[in-house]
Amino acid sequence: MLEGRSGVDEVTRFDTSEFRVHKGCEVKDFDFEKYTGSKQNREIGKGSQLAIAAAALAIEDAGIDLKKIDPTRIGVAVGTTAGEIQVLETVNVIRYRNGIDAVDPGLHKQHPVNQIPSNIAIEFGLKGPNLMLPTACAAGNYAIGYAYDLIRLGRADYMLAGGTDPFSKVAFTGFARLGAIAPEICQPFDKNRKGMMVGEGAGLLLLETLESAIERNATIYAEIVGYGLSCDGYHMTSPHPEGIGVVSAMIKALKGANIKPEDVQYISAHGTGTPANDAAETLAIKKVFGDWAKRLMVSSIKSMIGHTMGAASAIEAITCALAVKHDIVPPTINYETPDPECDIDCVPNEARQARVRIALNNAYAFGGNNSSLVVKKFVDY
Amino acid sequence: MRENRVVITGIGIISPLGEDKESFWTGLCNGVSGIKPITLFDTSSYRCKLAGEVAGFDPKRYLGSKGLRYFDRVSLLITSAAKLALEDGHLHSGIYAEDELGAVIGSTFGSINSISAFDMESLREGPNYVSPMDFPNTVLNAPASRVSIHCEMKGLNSTVSNGETSGIDSIQYAADFLRFGRVKALLAGGVYALTPDTFWGFYEADALAGTLPETLEISAPFDRRRNGIVLGEGAAVFLLEDVESAVARGAHIYAEVRGYGTAFAPEGRTSDIAVIEAGTGAINEALWQSGIAADEISFVASGAHSSARRDRLEVACLKAVFGARARTIPVSAIRSMTGECLDASAAMQIAAAVMAIGSNRVPPTINYQEPDPDCDVDCVPNVMRELEVENVLIPTFSFTGNASCLVVSRFDWDSNEISY
Repeated sequence: MLEGRSGVDEVTRFDTSEFRVHKGCEVKDFDFEKYTGSKQNREIGKGSQLAIAAAALAIEDAGIDLKKIDPTRIGVAVGTTAGEIQVLETVNVIRYRNGIDAVDPGLHKQHPVNQIPSNIAIEFGLKGPNLMLPTACAAGNYAIGYAYDLIRLGRADYMLAGGTDPFSKVAFTGFARLGAIAPEICQPFDKNRKGMMVGEGAGLLLLETLESAIERNATIYAEIVGYGLSCDGYHMTSPHPEGIGVVSAMIKALKGANIKPEDVQYISAHGTGTPANDAAETLAIKKVFGDWAKRLMVSSIKSMIGHTMGAASAIEAITCALAVKHDIVPPTINYETPDPECDIDCVPNEARQARVRIALNNAYAFGGNNSSLVVKKFVDY
Repeated sequence: MRENRVVITGIGIISPLGEDKESFWTGLCNGVSGIKPITLFDTSSYRCKLAGEVAGFDPKRYLGSKGLRYFDRVSLLITSAAKLALEDGHLHSGIYAEDELGAVIGSTFGSINSISAFDMESLREGPNYVSPMDFPNTVLNAPASRVSIHCEMKGLNSTVSNGETSGIDSIQYAADFLRFGRVKALLAGGVYALTPDTFWGFYEADALAGTLPETLEISAPFDRRRNGIVLGEGAAVFLLEDVESAVARGAHIYAEVRGYGTAFAPEGRTSDIAVIEAGTGAINEALWQSGIAADEISFVASGAHSSARRDRLEVACLKAVFGARARTIPVSAIRSMTGECLDASAAMQIAAAVMAIGSNRVPPTINYQEPDPDCDVDCVPNVMRELEVENVLIPTFSFTGNASCLVVSRFDWDSNEISY
């Protein structure tokens, strides 16, 4: 991301010849075997595989020894848009060609979406709260937010929280039919933006109490200090034109974190690259931040990795954590022509070294589900 | 951090026993079975033919006839139940601001029918011929979002997909938001609509009663003849409020949500001990949070659903928690009448618990004939019982390894010794 590279390429998971668009952001050469221990049943869906891989990376990165932790005190909260949709898509192809009797029932069993947090817990032997919060494209923020609540309420000491989504033909078809997919590149905030890129991936964070992190001498990336959720209650797919819900989520997040708008330096935007989203989000940011909006850095990493659906806001939360840790903001690439409706500093095309004390992570979803998460630089007093 | 107490002030329920809370409760108390031959889809190629359908469900009665074109059955069931809960709680628009209201819905299989229909249409006709209007139903939070849009709730909209524990987990999620004072009132509950996809999945997994030769197709929790679940469907939704808001607006308070516990059994698919450990842990945590001793529990609104293993393991958990009293405390399994309604089931257990508190009656476990030595509990066999009900324990397990438990109590303004 700091190099401004793009993950966009031809879609390979299925034949796109009947579609008008052919590009997407797939995870290339994913080798699940690299991440899994010996005990996990390999017959699990790709959503679980991506999530387990991300969890393994998070656990390793945290340098935490699970054997030394009471397993009942570590839980899982993950979100998704479509869960193990690839399983259902495979089932449907078999059913379409050869009838339902040709479908392997073992395959069908992999589909329920609660298999994902279960499979993570089974892989790592975790006995704490186990939750699937499938609030579509904002799901990562919902999961991280509730995991933060659970730790504050004392129901867990550690939570693996985030989101996952495998590349979905149903999503690709749906967004294509809505005319929301860009033909070549994703250009958030650009005047000529043509839409989103369907992507895939998983992002998981290990959350723990400050006391625990200090005690085990962990590298602290950032502190979660609050979040806000709201619902447009307006339309299943279109954002509210005046961004009422989006404004409300940001205000709640700032209030929950007990900070002022001027305390925020960076917003990781939902920034899908569709004409409607980016204009509405810009408007909402200006409503909440007033004059300070001009001083904010607002970038969309979806310009590089596409829209990873339920994983997106989790990966963007990771982006915020790294931004406050390293004082560097990733760019919005493919930015060429300014749009008066998107008159914010989108950190065009090149990463920027800048002091970031507080970052706000925006994520919105079908159904008008809105979320904003506040991520703060950890300062050891 | 001062935390609010959370109370139940409205119930909306659409179940195989009828389309309101009265028919649900009367049916349960009279031991009526909602399980009948399936009419929603063709079962001629299956040995199993029965389910607890919501027969003759007419959503127009609750939602009017406008704007329902793109609602699928899941969304219709849950939105109807949501409307009923708001009506029951007399929460008219204007009492709270839209931003102080929200919905948290348990739904795991979401709109699986809609997803498959969308995908199959694309396979048959080509991707350029599917309707973009059918796309939103493919996301798993569509049912919850429909509720928020229809009921004009803008404070929070979330979906919990934890299988059979969803009903409890979603209510706890909502209760946590109310405890933090983030909103004033939330609808919370669960929904499942019977679909050929899930029916087929459970059938092929040999999870349905009557799948194997020489077995009965019967929902008979704790009975020696039990051999699997009978599916049911429906939606159960509660109106939850923080106690001060509820009292201030003069709401009728059905019960208080007192304690919650949850745990996961990573080895649960193969190890009985792992399930018992998780179940016992969840129950004990719920009791501890509620500040209510096991001895003070009036009865158990059981999650038993007629599978050979799960019912036996729930009894083992109850023995670990209640000791000798496990043989005498009433343990009522309403799935004997409703079938296993998946995400709606735990919410229906809670509804039964809450209405038991209101009427001092405990519904029976029907179809109980042949005792099983492994399930030697007082399951309130076949006939309901009059009993003073103060505190109810509501345990549930999921197929994937979750165990969750809720404690609800008769509301008493002075009992404020909560140890969250």
